[in-house]
Amino acid sequence: MGYLEELLVKEGLSLVGKRVSRPDALDKVLGRPLFTADKLTRGMLWAKIVRSKYPHAIIKRIDKGKALGVPGVLTVLTAEDIPGENQIGYAIPDQPLLAMDKVRFVGEPVAVVVAENEEAAEKGAELVEIEYESLPAVFDPLEALKPVAPRIHESGNIATTTIIRKGDVEKGFREADVIVENTYKTQRQEHAYLETETVIAVPEINKVTILACMQSPWLIRRMVAKVLGYKQSKVRVIELPAGGAFGGKDDMIPMIAPIAALAAVKTGKPVFLMFKRDETFEASNKRHPSIIRYKSGATKDGKLVAVEIEIIYETGAYANRGPFVLWRATAHAAGPYEVPNVKVDGKLVYTNRVFSGSFRGFGDPQIHFAAESQMDELAAKLGMDPVEFRLKNILKPGLTTTCGQVVDQSVGVEEALRKLAEKINWEKRKREIEEYNRESKRKLKGIGVACAYHGISTSRGAPDWSAAAVIINEDGTITYKGGICRLGQGSLIGHAKIVAEILGVPLSYIQIEGPDTDAIPEARPTHGSRGLMTGGTAAADAASKLRRNIVRVASEMLECKTEDIEIKDALIYVKPDPSRNIPFSEAAKELYVRGYETAAYGFYRAPKRFFDPKTGLGVAYGVYVYIVNIAEVEVDTWTGQVKVERVHTAADVGKAIDPDLIEQQFHGAIAQGLGLTLTEDIVFSDGKILNNNYTDYVIPTVKDRVEVPTVVLVEQPYKGAAFGAKGVAEAALIPTPPAITNAIRHATGIRFKELPVTPEKVYFALKKRRGEKS
Amino acid sequence: MNETGNLKIKFTLNGKPIEYMVKPNWTLLDLLRKELSVLSPKEGCSRGDCGACTVLLNGKPVNSCLVLAPQIDGKEIVTVEGLIEDKEFKALKETFIEKGAVQCGFCTPGIIVSAVALLREKGNPTVQDIEEALEGNLCRCTGYIRIIEAVKQAAEKLQKTS
Amino acid sequence: MKLIPPYRYLRPKNLQEAVEQLGRYGEEAKILAGGTDLIPMIRDCLITPKTMIDISFLDELRYIREEGDMIKIGALATHSEILKSPLINGKTGVLAKAEKVLGATQIRNRGTIGGNLCNASPAADTAPPLMVLNAKLKAISVEGERIIPIEEFFTGPRKNALKPNEILVEVQVSPEPEKSGSSFIKLGRRRALTLSVVSTAALIVMDGVKCRDARIALGAVAPTPVRAKETEKLLINKELNGEVISSAAEKVVEEINPITDVRGSAEYRREMSKVLTKRCLLEALESVKR
Repeated sequence: MGYLEELLVKEGLSLVGKRVSRPDALDKVLGRPLFTADKLTRGMLWAKIVRSKYPHAIIKRIDKGKALGVPGVLTVLTAEDIPGENQIGYAIPDQPLLAMDKVRFVGEPVAVVVAENEEAAEKGAELVEIEYESLPAVFDPLEALKPVAPRIHESGNIATTTIIRKGDVEKGFREADVIVENTYKTQRQEHAYLETETVIAVPEINKVTILACMQSPWLIRRMVAKVLGYKQSKVRVIELPAGGAFGGKDDMIPMIAPIAALAAVKTGKPVFLMFKRDETFEASNKRHPSIIRYKSGATKDGKLVAVEIEIIYETGAYANRGPFVLWRATAHAAGPYEVPNVKVDGKLVYTNRVFSGSFRGFGDPQIHFAAESQMDELAAKLGMDPVEFRLKNILKPGLTTTCGQVVDQSVGVEEALRKLAEKINWEKRKREIEEYNRESKRKLKGIGVACAYHGISTSRGAPDWSAAAVIINEDGTITYKGGICRLGQGSLIGHAKIVAEILGVPLSYIQIEGPDTDAIPEARPTHGSRGLMTGGTAAADAASKLRRNIVRVASEMLECKTEDIEIKDALIYVKPDPSRNIPFSEAAKELYVRGYETAAYGFYRAPKRFFDPKTGLGVAYGVYVYIVNIAEVEVDTWTGQVKVERVHTAADVGKAIDPDLIEQQFHGAIAQGLGLTLTEDIVFSDGKILNNNYTDYVIPTVKDRVEVPTVVLVEQPYKGAAFGAKGVAEAALIPTPPAITNAIRHATGIRFKELPVTPEKVYFALKKRRGEKS
Repeated sequence: MNETGNLKIKFTLNGKPIEYMVKPNWTLLDLLRKELSVLSPKEGCSRGDCGACTVLLNGKPVNSCLVLAPQIDGKEIVTVEGLIEDKEFKALKETFIEKGAVQCGFCTPGIIVSAVALLREKGNPTVQDIEEALEGNLCRCTGYIRIIEAVKQAAEKLQKTS
Repeated sequence: MKLIPPYRYLRPKNLQEAVEQLGRYGEEAKILAGGTDLIPMIRDCLITPKTMIDISFLDELRYIREEGDMIKIGALATHSEILKSPLINGKTGVLAKAEKVLGATQIRNRGTIGGNLCNASPAADTAPPLMVLNAKLKAISVEGERIIPIEEFFTGPRKNALKPNEILVEVQVSPEPEKSGSSFIKLGRRRALTLSVVSTAALIVMDGVKCRDARIALGAVAPTPVRAKETEKLLINKELNGEVISSAAEKVVEEINPITDVRGSAEYRREMSKVLTKRCLLEALESVKR
């Protein structure tokens, strides 16, 4: 039996599945220095990025003269100063580190001023003279698709396309008794983490070290090496805890660490680079705005027969992660249901606005907003209850996903939906609300459900793996070197629990260390809900290897068979006679004395997936996490304001390594989903962002919070991961917007197809309907 | 003030008297972080929108990014570093850990400062009181649910012990 | 967003000295009080003062007191101090209501009523309640003092009637009259820490079932905060009921001139001006002390 099978059946778990206090909470409450900006020391140089003021222009000339004349300015770097490749494109090589001949959005980096202090850096940045020749710009993806549109890239304005051809949609729609067709739009969302992007680069002899908040240490290493023309071993990346990341720092730090590294290498001094809040708003990636035309058909007994979907995701000036985001959306387009006939066409479209990219959910919130709105519209047309209608189509083991993948295990969406509906008494609640609305004049209540699924790990069948290292110290304490970044989600705490569980020690024995590319092999990024599953499984691999050594040394010391050794609470004993025992620390010391290996690397390799680019069909993901949200809202018909009173949530998490950490993720994800649904939107004028601060980009405050009174955890283990656990950090965001808009539909009878659903939109929709009625 | 326009100010920081030559265009946040290495107040927005830099000025929570350094002459400044022995802080520390009210931790020091001020003023705060005390502290990770619970529970703890 | 550029820092020892300094530096100087509006404006490069006169130490301007039939609020009284003042809560509840939803605790602890008015944002939260209280603003300069009725104080977005050498030192209001009721409603984009999309204050004085006086003011719907006098006329000497109030509230759109910006469209602001005026009047009527 392999170690993964052993863990799945392990009994008497002391940490896994239990709620523990976060070991990082104390330091954070004490406000101890932890973050990148807290590592700023005297003597570090400041780098300031000079950004394009034009949405689309040719760079005619750059004059560094005046900037170099500012006292304290040491150098001004432009594209021509880059020793390696001036290329940071992620999926497509379309994005320069520093703009060379052309700029494509307001805020694009053109030059970098490096100075002895912040004042000089800022002053220098103002004085770098850049002469532009303005080009016609295009800000709307539909405009960008027109043949007459200005070309943003030489290849044209379509970065990539996707398709799915499953079954025969024509035939499917012929079988349909009801058909619903709508177009949905979603907006640009900003991550709005409290800590802005910050990087420190320290030059060493023929080497450079990066310290930063981040999500992808090894990608940063690759990018820095590429830009500097270094080998990877000449770049060391040390992860520092992030003050929030949500996908933003996955994309951004690999794009700015090379700038700091370049400045450090050119000046021979450590360099500090930190975005101001307005830079974060103007120049960091955003959630892709989308336009989705969605046609669905079902039979009168409530079976989905066909969906036909056209997806446009606006990637802005550069493709960045867009191809993967679009592909993920495409692969999930039908929602967590079996639909025999599926046709999807996706386009990723360039515009002259800030580039889009990774953001919690990675393309899935947009497509689920459309898919789950459609489900309610179909149910309404069929006169069926939305839960009942979903249950008739929901994915079960043996059924196939949008892209024809047969899901065979850990498919707990049906269980999640049934349990949640039952727990909150869906039918009764719905009736109560409808009764309330009959009496109420000003306020209308509503309840709505939405389901979602989210494939774990990388898209398009790209290879995936992870790594970790465990060291048993001579005193019996354990150093765990994780490859997954600390974003506040607590993934490494989950890993540490797994390590402690396997080694039989309390969690307090484990010292948790974040990624360092010089300390462990590549573990791949902290994204795609893969942190716990892939990193945790690598941790389990390392811990299992060391457990074998501990067991062996203990069996020698206790003179018994290895099979008789048990370890619990740092005590190693002989199962048939527990009085024969030794402390874990003694065995640890003996490992060293007797020459056993005291450290181990652990690895995880994703199962092979398959992807046919001609049809889009294949095995898209090793496993999916499934989520169900039920939202309750109250609509103020006088003002159009929507109050989300509560969101109930259920998910199949495989195995809850820590139910409390999972709940924390649900809370945060739902709050971000709330902002996405009701208030958050980036507003432009001629390509320039108008709301580049927290005053006018409106995220929820404590008074806007949503209660999450019901959390149901379904545990259908995934055999490919340690203890069967799946990642959940992105999950609860995905069905939040449609759950809320479905609830608004229930309250008002109006289907909102565009996010955010602002009070204005609600007010005028209600007014229009009143006009139509009277 | 000297000829360069810098001026010497006296204030107490976490109970300790300090004399320091400041530039008028420094904010209190700059002074704390860059000059005095008091790092618990964080720079989140520099314009009073997020509350990550909240400190106590004469006992009241303020955004230290919106206070100019010369303005604290003769005043008392307290940050989390100076609250460690405080009974309200101790109660909050316990409940924030118990309730898992911390995720990334970047907004946490500001929230703790705001919560300490609340608990000093109101022994038995209602949920509305807590909301009002924390409405100027943005958090993007937690959805605030656990934070409210932790402050409420800290208040109850303090009530019991007093 | 920029660093705060260097400037000449002056800290007057008393009001007299402040007035003299402002007299000397006039146009190039800015008065620094709570800084909650001023610092973001400097960082956003909207203003670049060469000199700042820091009056935040002048405790002589920090008071809330009753003198004769007037309530006098020193320009440096913070929003928190006003909010917690029993005098304000007891006698000018409409102002307390606005202070409660202004900014957030940190802003209220630092920001001053004088600053909120001088900044002259069309969305200033204290403006509509002070307008319905017929506030008078006292300004001082080397030339002497003058009283400016609040209606004349706001002259445009971020523009006020003060001369370059004048300091606003006091806000004077009469208590809400006997048999009156008042209310303030702010519609923001979220439930806290938000700027008004529309705000409305109303004060009505009743004589039995008849309305003896009605005052309505709105924020964020015109270049300045505005009084809605034509709307008020539709209420005065009328018997107030839901119907009268509803039809009067429709009038309010003729007295405003909202714009479309990132916070809301002109059209929505017009609609909400009606809705909020109506709600505000109903609440004011409800609260009439009998």
